[in-house]
Amino acid sequence: MMKKTGTPSAVSFTGAVKTYGTVRAVDGVDLRIARGETVALLGRNGAGKSTTISLLLGLTEPEAGTVELFGVAPERAVRAGRVGAMLQEARAVPRVTVRELVSFVAGRYPSPMPVAQALELAGIAELAGRRVDRLSGGQTQRVRFAVALAGNPSLIVLDEPTAALDVEARRAFWDSMRAYARRGHTVLFSTHYLEEADAHADRILVIDRGRIVADGTGEQLRRAAGGNLVSFDLAGRGTEGLTLLPGVRSLEVRGERALLRTDDSDAAVIALAELGAIRGLEVAPASLDDAFLALTSRTRKTV
Amino acid sequence: MFDYLLLEVRRTLRDVGFVIGGVAMPVMMYLLFTNLGENSGGWKAASMVGMAAYGAVGSALNTGGGVAEDRAIGWLRQLRVTPMTPRQVVAGRALTGSVTVLPAIVAVLAAGGLVNGVRLAAWQWGAIALLLWLGSVPFTLLGLGNGYRLTAQTTGVANMTCNLGLSVLGGLWFPVTLFPGWLRAVSAFTPTHGFARLGTAIVEGHAPAASAVLVLAVWLLAFGSYAALSYRRHAGNV
Repeated sequence: MMKKTGTPSAVSFTGAVKTYGTVRAVDGVDLRIARGETVALLGRNGAGKSTTISLLLGLTEPEAGTVELFGVAPERAVRAGRVGAMLQEARAVPRVTVRELVSFVAGRYPSPMPVAQALELAGIAELAGRRVDRLSGGQTQRVRFAVALAGNPSLIVLDEPTAALDVEARRAFWDSMRAYARRGHTVLFSTHYLEEADAHADRILVIDRGRIVADGTGEQLRRAAGGNLVSFDLAGRGTEGLTLLPGVRSLEVRGERALLRTDDSDAAVIALAELGAIRGLEVAPASLDDAFLALTSRTRKTV
Repeated sequence: MFDYLLLEVRRTLRDVGFVIGGVAMPVMMYLLFTNLGENSGGWKAASMVGMAAYGAVGSALNTGGGVAEDRAIGWLRQLRVTPMTPRQVVAGRALTGSVTVLPAIVAVLAAGGLVNGVRLAAWQWGAIALLLWLGSVPFTLLGLGNGYRLTAQTTGVANMTCNLGLSVLGGLWFPVTLFPGWLRAVSAFTPTHGFARLGTAIVEGHAPAASAVLVLAVWLLAFGSYAALSYRRHAGNV
């Protein structure tokens, strides 16, 4: 790795491992996030997202490998005020007003943004005088976002920031996040929603069973997972030999329909025509969902 | 850290449960216990110290309840990802405890002086308040020990048990002279009894006995170790 040259990455993991009992929650993660990037950490529940974030923030120590933020140990970067975080499952702090809470957190950092600006960015300027424990779920979530960005940190980490938000609140939240990212800050957020990762990140890291299984833009992931899906009615015929057809990578049967994941859908369709198997044929580009499933289900046989 | 202290003191004083249970209750109990039936002036002064001590113990333990609550809602974890050091957070919490014991002490002493007509020299009032304030530190540590170790619910129960048990046993509610001999012997070694004796000595016009200070110092050490142990074991996974 050439990490010692130039400015260090905002985030860097080298062979990081963290186990809980027999579960390898993070199982040898290598990753680099450059300054100014907006990156999504995408994975299903229990894939290792939260553990990765705990390691990143220095809340837990890796058993093997190293984790660095801006070239130093996470704890040092946090103490230096370079990191802000919105943690998962944190609830409202009772008996303080929004302004009191955000001002307090801002005051811990060496060069915070003005409190009014933090509230503005999080879209809660009009709630400044309200008690945090008397807000709705969506409003509380935005207060937590304001807490994360109040110190004007270079890196902001959001652990499943939109979990339990309704559509409206979710949209408002992402607008706020993008406004913050546009100021040149590095943003890392975790999610299990594909559309969110695709829509709001420059780059997606797919994590599964504690490993990074894919790294790229939404488009690259779609391509990596294999071009097109060819589907047709089986109409009683068997599936034997279908996976051997040219261009076909895998087969899945859903009800009466066969779904072929292909590298070369033209070749596959011609071969199907020769077999006289074309009934209700459909050719569609793989969706990001398909890409995600393909990337995270290596061990689950689709045939 | 001053900001943190300010924030937590504010949060505590806005807690209706704290104001009623920690401040109003001791005052009401004091007025009740000293105005039902025949009461000597001596009892009015002694009970004033006892109830102020009882209120201080409750408020000090309440600090631990706050810690347990903050752990449960993830606030302590959130603080760990700000530039504050863990040491500052713990120290801030302990100082919060030392500030929030003051309302109970002041309120009960005020009830004694203004309502019950307890007459003491100015230095005595000052000394009682100061000693009760300083003497409440072991109880803050006991509360913190519970708060770092237990869940919010169990901390509530544990603090309540400690508060009532130690207060009654230590003679804060009723004079120990009413206790049977064996219980009086036990009572002498409780932290609450040592705590109250700091104040009653001043009412009687002399310095606290060395034995009272010693008993309290031993408990300070014990509760301090308990708090440190709880913190070291459990703060890592807040």
